[in-house]
Amino acid sequence: MIYQQLINGLMLGASYSLVAIGYTLIFGVLNLLYFAHGEVFMIGAFVGLYLVTLGGANIYVALLGAMIACAVLGVIAVYVSVRPVSKDRPLAPLISTIGLTIVIQNLAIYIFGGQQVAFPDTIKEQLYHIGPVTISSVQIFILAVAIALMVLLWLFIERTKMGRAIRATAENHETAALLGVDVNRVVLVTFIIGSGIAGVAGVLDGIKNSGISPYMGLGAAVKGLIVMLLGGLGNVFGAMVAGLLLGMIEILSSAYIGTTERDFFSFAILILILLYKPTGLFGTRTTEER
Amino acid sequence: MLGEMLDGYTRSLLIFAGINAIAAYSFYAPYKTGQVSLGQAGFMAVGAYASAVLTHKFGIPFAAAVVFGGILSGVIGVVVGFPALRIKGIYLLLLTLGFSEIISVIALSWDYIGGAQGFRGIPFNQYTLDYVVGIIVVLILLFARIERSSLGRAMDSIHQDETAAEVMGIDVVRIKLFAFGLGAVIAGVAGALYAHQATYIDSSTFNIMVSVEILMFVVVGGGSTYWGPVFGAAVLNAIPEVLRSLRDWLEIVPVAWTNFYPMNRIYDSLHDFLDFENAKRLIAFGLILILMMIFRPDGLLTRDSLHRLRFWHRKARHA
Repeated sequence: MIYQQLINGLMLGASYSLVAIGYTLIFGVLNLLYFAHGEVFMIGAFVGLYLVTLGGANIYVALLGAMIACAVLGVIAVYVSVRPVSKDRPLAPLISTIGLTIVIQNLAIYIFGGQQVAFPDTIKEQLYHIGPVTISSVQIFILAVAIALMVLLWLFIERTKMGRAIRATAENHETAALLGVDVNRVVLVTFIIGSGIAGVAGVLDGIKNSGISPYMGLGAAVKGLIVMLLGGLGNVFGAMVAGLLLGMIEILSSAYIGTTERDFFSFAILILILLYKPTGLFGTRTTEER
Repeated sequence: MLGEMLDGYTRSLLIFAGINAIAAYSFYAPYKTGQVSLGQAGFMAVGAYASAVLTHKFGIPFAAAVVFGGILSGVIGVVVGFPALRIKGIYLLLLTLGFSEIISVIALSWDYIGGAQGFRGIPFNQYTLDYVVGIIVVLILLFARIERSSLGRAMDSIHQDETAAEVMGIDVVRIKLFAFGLGAVIAGVAGALYAHQATYIDSSTFNIMVSVEILMFVVVGGGSTYWGPVFGAAVLNAIPEVLRSLRDWLEIVPVAWTNFYPMNRIYDSLHDFLDFENAKRLIAFGLILILMMIFRPDGLLTRDSLHRLRFWHRKARHA
């Protein structure tokens, strides 16, 4: 029983991790709480849905399409709500991205309608029994995609030149710029990567819950924020682990305590972390003042 | 009294706009010391539920219930504000957001106050408009008084530079706590008024987007002057109504002018465009917010623009 719950928690946590990675990357390079990230996740889910239902695409094409569409959305976000906004007022970029959040969400409601839409079955459901645990082919697929993405991202951040530039910018904007890092380009690449991953997460979430709605973004955004904080601001590895952790905590608390209390636990964790360990479980990677 | 002069639609429109303005002042009070809260909806929920329990379950008069809702919310505000003193920026944003979400989880799971079914049958108060107008006037006078006092200057200096303010001998802890608590009291009052106008509240009535809208009123109106919150709330609440009334004017156009090919299309699309249901209204809000941050990040009203207005006024009188 407990193993089964842990597997379910891992499933839930994988999508939290993917959303939080984007948050923490963007927070790292810009020190900006990028509110629209949850909406990017939602748009990813809808792009995947329409590619499958209208375009007749298979799931891999849907994942790729959602990734590209969301990366484009990330670029738009940079040019609309980040670049033109003055940096010397700390609130201004936060509020402009809140504006973007509102625009994307309500455009989605306007275009797709406010109801929940069923996500078609794209993977043949098959159950495997490993010891006491039952795991479905859908679950294996989601976990495999999520883990593959995280490994790729980790390699990118640790092994490539651009990855090093991202880490340098996250550590200190000015120093990185002085050392010849093109900070504007780093910001753009960060948004592309973070948004692309969020798009994939959106499609995976659609497959898992077999239903999506324009309102799904806000919940994902809030959970992503908690995970980002739990893992330490700007810490990509921390976000991956913390996402899985929060997923397991939520599943265990809803299995053994109650479903309505589930959210209570995640927000209680948020507040405890904020008050007692604002650097998160794995340490921050930024110079944000507390 | 005031309400009897207006029809029902205008009255409820003015009441909700007024409640928004009051809520905007609840954001303005802590913001004056540099504390940005995304949890004002949570304090509204506290005031709304507390006052609804008093009037609905215990038959306590409306005015007393509103006062109690404000006080309870203020007490919780001080309790939340105390740990909030240690953190700022994004951490404070997340803390207040988490607080607000916890309040809504409690409202969802506590059956005594309606739980998932929501709180129904809150007694309607027919004099809410008088209360709303009175409270807004009191708030404007209060914040005008604060702005001209040493307290207001101390708050401004904390907003500018907390360390410098502390070095100058300002009791930063007490003033920040006072500002946060005052904001919570005002939010609680706004929530109580809302509950007795809408007569139904549930755990999602006061969600994150409500906190975001409250923040928006102050940012659009201008956070550096006490006229900003009420101005922002008035402008943002008026925009959809103005556009809707433009559509009524469209009806005057004679049918004979618009029943042939290009004109009928133009007429229809204009008619569609001015039909401001919620999704479109919010899209427009979002765009306004982004444009504001690009072109006028300090809000529509700033201290400078008010000063210029006053100066211009004086010059005109002397001419």
